[in-house]
Amino acid sequence: MKLSLFTLTLCIGFTSTAALGQTVDSRAVGVRPLEPVGYEAPLRTTRVTSTAKFAILSSKIVTCAEQGESVINHGIVLVSAGKIEALGRQGELDIPIGYEIINVGDNWVTPGLIDLHSHVGGSLRGNDLNDTVFLTNPGLRASAAITPGNSNLRRALAGGVTSVLYIPGSGSNIGGQGTLMKTGFDTYEPTEIRNPGSMKLAQAGNPERFAWGVNRSFMNWHTRETLKRGIAYAQSWEDFAAGAGEKPEMNIQFEVFRWLKPRATQISAHTQMYQVVLQSLTRVIGDLKLPLFIDHGTIGAWKLAPLVREMDVAAALGPRNVDVPSRGMMNWSQNIEAEGWRGTAVGYQLAGVKEIAFNTDAPVMPQEELSLQATIAVRYGFDDTSMQAMRGLTIIPARIAGINHRVGSLEVGKEADILVISGHPADQRSSVERVWLDGHEVYNADEKREY
Amino acid sequence: MANPFTLTRAARSLCMAALVVGGGGSAWAAGEDGDEGRALCAAKILTCAAEAGPADVVNNGALLIKDGVIQGVLHKANDIPDGYKIEDLGDAWLMPGLVDLHSHIAGRGYNDSVFQANPGLRVKCTVVPQNGNLVRALAAGVTTILYIPGSATTVGGQGVLLKTSPATYEPMVVRDPGSIKVAQADNPKRWGFRMNRIFLNWTIREIFGRGAVYAQAWDEFEAGTGPKPERNIQLDIFRDLFAHRTQISAHTQVHQVILASMDIMKAKYGLDLYIDHGTFDGYKAAAIAEELGVAAVIGPRSVNFQNKGRGIDTNGAVIGVAAEYQRRGHSRIGFNTDAPVVPQEELALQAAMGVRYGFDDSEQGAVRGVTIVPAGIAGIDHRVGSLEVGKDADVLVITGHPSDPRTSVERVYVNGERVYDATEGRVF
Repeated sequence: MKLSLFTLTLCIGFTSTAALGQTVDSRAVGVRPLEPVGYEAPLRTTRVTSTAKFAILSSKIVTCAEQGESVINHGIVLVSAGKIEALGRQGELDIPIGYEIINVGDNWVTPGLIDLHSHVGGSLRGNDLNDTVFLTNPGLRASAAITPGNSNLRRALAGGVTSVLYIPGSGSNIGGQGTLMKTGFDTYEPTEIRNPGSMKLAQAGNPERFAWGVNRSFMNWHTRETLKRGIAYAQSWEDFAAGAGEKPEMNIQFEVFRWLKPRATQISAHTQMYQVVLQSLTRVIGDLKLPLFIDHGTIGAWKLAPLVREMDVAAALGPRNVDVPSRGMMNWSQNIEAEGWRGTAVGYQLAGVKEIAFNTDAPVMPQEELSLQATIAVRYGFDDTSMQAMRGLTIIPARIAGINHRVGSLEVGKEADILVISGHPADQRSSVERVWLDGHEVYNADEKREY
Repeated sequence: MANPFTLTRAARSLCMAALVVGGGGSAWAAGEDGDEGRALCAAKILTCAAEAGPADVVNNGALLIKDGVIQGVLHKANDIPDGYKIEDLGDAWLMPGLVDLHSHIAGRGYNDSVFQANPGLRVKCTVVPQNGNLVRALAAGVTTILYIPGSATTVGGQGVLLKTSPATYEPMVVRDPGSIKVAQADNPKRWGFRMNRIFLNWTIREIFGRGAVYAQAWDEFEAGTGPKPERNIQLDIFRDLFAHRTQISAHTQVHQVILASMDIMKAKYGLDLYIDHGTFDGYKAAAIAEELGVAAVIGPRSVNFQNKGRGIDTNGAVIGVAAEYQRRGHSRIGFNTDAPVVPQEELALQAAMGVRYGFDDSEQGAVRGVTIVPAGIAGIDHRVGSLEVGKDADVLVITGHPSDPRTSVERVYVNGERVYDATEGRVF
């Protein structure tokens, strides 16, 4: 019952982005069958709906809308019941009686920022997020470690980050299931956006430390093995539901594949070097037909961007992604061809990849530096003339994660996750002044400024 | 000045005689049929009756005990029927024996952790009756404990509900299995390299999933609709759990871990679950716990404060955990010690600390939280936890409110038998 509410909201799916000339997204996150037999439904209770009604007046509202106007100068945002009720120009849109008027003057109003690669949602005590008993752990859930309202999340808010994909670390090839969550609440119920938010896949580098003798080709084999078993498990439940097979034995290690196979969640692949991204694309998406986006995209993989575009795969890039020349013994980038410093995002953009978002890997980079990831991209050549940097922090990550029906832009009916910021978020001189989440004010720099 | 606790020579010899009479098989002598009853007259009787109300406190009343059971709570001493020996305890208070649902003092070697989940282990096989900790527990008025495995693994095994009285094992048992112990964060992480919170969560989901399948297979067999399953003593406890014959005492204390407990055990499987050893910021889940009917046992010495390593940020404040559960609308709050981590005799102090940090005691919450509330949570309130007709005569004679540190326990009865008397050798 509780699950069905969430399933229903997922039905809305993706819409096209007229401003960027895109067609309907082929990666659309699909609909999970109702009442999945035996699935462990996450605990849910009623969210407390904000009763505040207010009108924000601003010189510049950057809506990041998927359709319609992206910028409203001298505009108004009306908020009620935790949702965006209306948008319009001052003098054209009536403010109903009883609405508090909040005039933020020359400050901008934007959607809250979204980070699809974060580890600061909860306990980092004793490496709580990086349980690596096995080399693949699809059954583990990051939600088991969430600490709502922790100090990292409070700083995230002050940096304008309102939603994150909180995922397991990369100590193993499949670290477990991430949770899509909001950053500004004290309790879990309003925090959760979707669980499972993703299944975390990591391929090279970190998981190689798992054990002696485990290196890239063994990990590739082992990951394929787990993915294939998971798909077979999901298939056996689908057969059972269709009356075409015996009731399978429940195996909580593989339950997440019953979400992945019908595309109700995706694989967030920490995939960053040429050969590794190639494996993500050809094996996971091409052969196994699982939904996947590139996450923590760095180093030389932008050279694969033409294939990324051809397969219509989205990419979240960061942290601080610039490709650097070889440093000989210190050749951590394993990129022997780089001739100079080169922005990763621009490499993807020039190849025509449409869906480019930015991520931090917080706390490796501070969560509040999400906007800096876009700044660095622009600094190294990423074209921002159609507000691609701004969108890469808001609507694009929302769309990649399949939560754009709820967050990511200021559009009527979406959740009121709103920033008041003194200028463009990618301009590091800008400061976040106020933040609302679901219409609740959760940060106000006038009361206590963080940045 | 007459000391009301000084026994008459006659009473003392009666007591000794009772011990000798009952001492055939054990040193345990519940009042036997035909014994003379006792009427304890006291200035104040805290009955901790199951239904809170005016009958909770009886001033200048008398408590009738016979055959090891409470026969009556009288408002006037002159109503005492014939056949009861009257003892005037003067200004003393009477109250039920204290109940602690998180204790490790009944024996040794209760933390076996060969596997990460051990639902088949039974801590009862380690009980050492009459050990020194039990003697001190009794002297502090703790008459019933849930003796449980340690928290070195996610599922430590089965606890047993015991009286602390000086007896052999059998008469101590109130219920076996008393609970199945679950622990989630911190301690069980030490079990193995790379095992942290989300792996522990997975382990619990996995073992409860298997337990559910096992219990259902037996139900089907007993209903004649399935084949006879293979016996698996590791999973037998789940038949008790699914039949609601015992509960899960979850050592669950951090907000998210409490949510996980309720998610897996209560919301998904409908099992009887209570929060045990409740500390840290678990009160953030209080409203859902109340909604789901999950009681909370708080302690030891639970205050929540700044703890960056745990991601707990209270802005420097020190917050009373019990008070915060209460403020958020939770209605079934008890207290526990985790003895011997905190001494068993400090159970009453846990409630006192609760009050010190804001727990509202205006309706006897601190007294009820160490008596009838934990008894009800453990499902043994038909026997212990209050002074009501028909219940076991587990009675404390004390000098004042149990949460007042100046108060001392003068005498303890278990099953109507005087098992501690400060005048014969004071412990505290």
